[in-house]
Amino acid sequence: MTRVTTTWTAHETTADALGALAREGATGALSGERGIVYLKAGRVVHVESAFTPDLGALLTRSGAVPPDGWWEAVDRGGTQHRVGHRLVDGGSLAAGALEVCHLGALFDAAYFVLAHDTRAQRFRPGAVHWLGAVRSVPVDVVVRESGRRRALLDRIWPDSAIDTLPLTRVPGAGADVLPVRRGRTLTQVDGVRTAAEIASALACRTYHTLVELRRLAADGLVRVAPAAAPPPRSGAEPPAVVWDDPDTALLRRLRDALEAL
Amino acid sequence: MPGIDESLLEAMRLPGARGASLVDWISGLALGAVGDAPGGDWEATAAETAELGRHVAESGSLAAAGTAGDTLEPGKEPPVEDLIATTGDAYHLLRFVSTPFDSTVFLHLWLDRNDGNLALARIRLAEMADRLVLG
Repeated sequence: MTRVTTTWTAHETTADALGALAREGATGALSGERGIVYLKAGRVVHVESAFTPDLGALLTRSGAVPPDGWWEAVDRGGTQHRVGHRLVDGGSLAAGALEVCHLGALFDAAYFVLAHDTRAQRFRPGAVHWLGAVRSVPVDVVVRESGRRRALLDRIWPDSAIDTLPLTRVPGAGADVLPVRRGRTLTQVDGVRTAAEIASALACRTYHTLVELRRLAADGLVRVAPAAAPPPRSGAEPPAVVWDDPDTALLRRLRDALEAL
Repeated sequence: MPGIDESLLEAMRLPGARGASLVDWISGLALGAVGDAPGGDWEATAAETAELGRHVAESGSLAAAGTAGDTLEPGKEPPVEDLIATTGDAYHLLRFVSTPFDSTVFLHLWLDRNDGNLALARIRLAEMADRLVLG
């Protein structure tokens, strides 16, 4: 356990709270509205968000690691916080592959935690993620990258409604030859699913799916589904987002509630 | 089995190597970097080379890309293996890395033109890209 810290509460945004915790060299988990950032000695070691597929989903749904191998690593390594090492030691995954996938998931989730930079809700000192140490990233790099990613999306197509609302294909718009990723993303646009649900269906990182969807919107191939469109995002309240896996959301809330006891 | 840093350090042992990085060509993020950055700033270099890499990887002419509705597996892309930019005093070698899960990364090696051996570097970087994700 690190010493109890309270200075993070003085900050209005999750990014500023993370900065304060980094300066203290804190270890623990900071919960925001859209996810949890795990710190070790002031550096980011893991980030989770219900808006993005986690490492297990990226690895197993793509077929990179068989589900049995993943769950065995979780069973055997989870309590010692060594699931990542278990995967590599057990031969399921190369060390570099684990790092690349882990960083992909980390920055993907961080984008959503920091995209609507509301006040951080809670810090659990000493909390450690079961995945264990893979790679750590300085807080300022994570914050800067999330801002850069936001700007990149707006340069492609400045309509953030694409990111959170159900999407539909534009009737009559013919797609010529599309790059592989973009074409694959387009096939999942069905008038019902949101970007996060499309990313989950494809076992892709959500931010990278947002990039393809904004490019498809810029090309006039995709738009927000009209029937299901609630009013545009107001400054006060982010739009409600339907997550396709209520069990995950429920389990996360349950876990947070138990840990809060 | 090498991780990202070990792979980049191995690339830096090639004759004439000035700098090496692993870059996500959609987001423009440098996942790792060693040595000197071309232009002095790895973050700026990564963002710029990512745009270059993306244009080539998504090119309908250079890359035999799939059509709309194609459902290639994540590990099967992009069809471009590498690209080389030559300047007066250096080579830039970008080697795409195929992974069995969703990732969009290349290795970038900055190589001195006098001291470096482009053909050797190209072969070695391909081997490093394989070892990085396959062990």
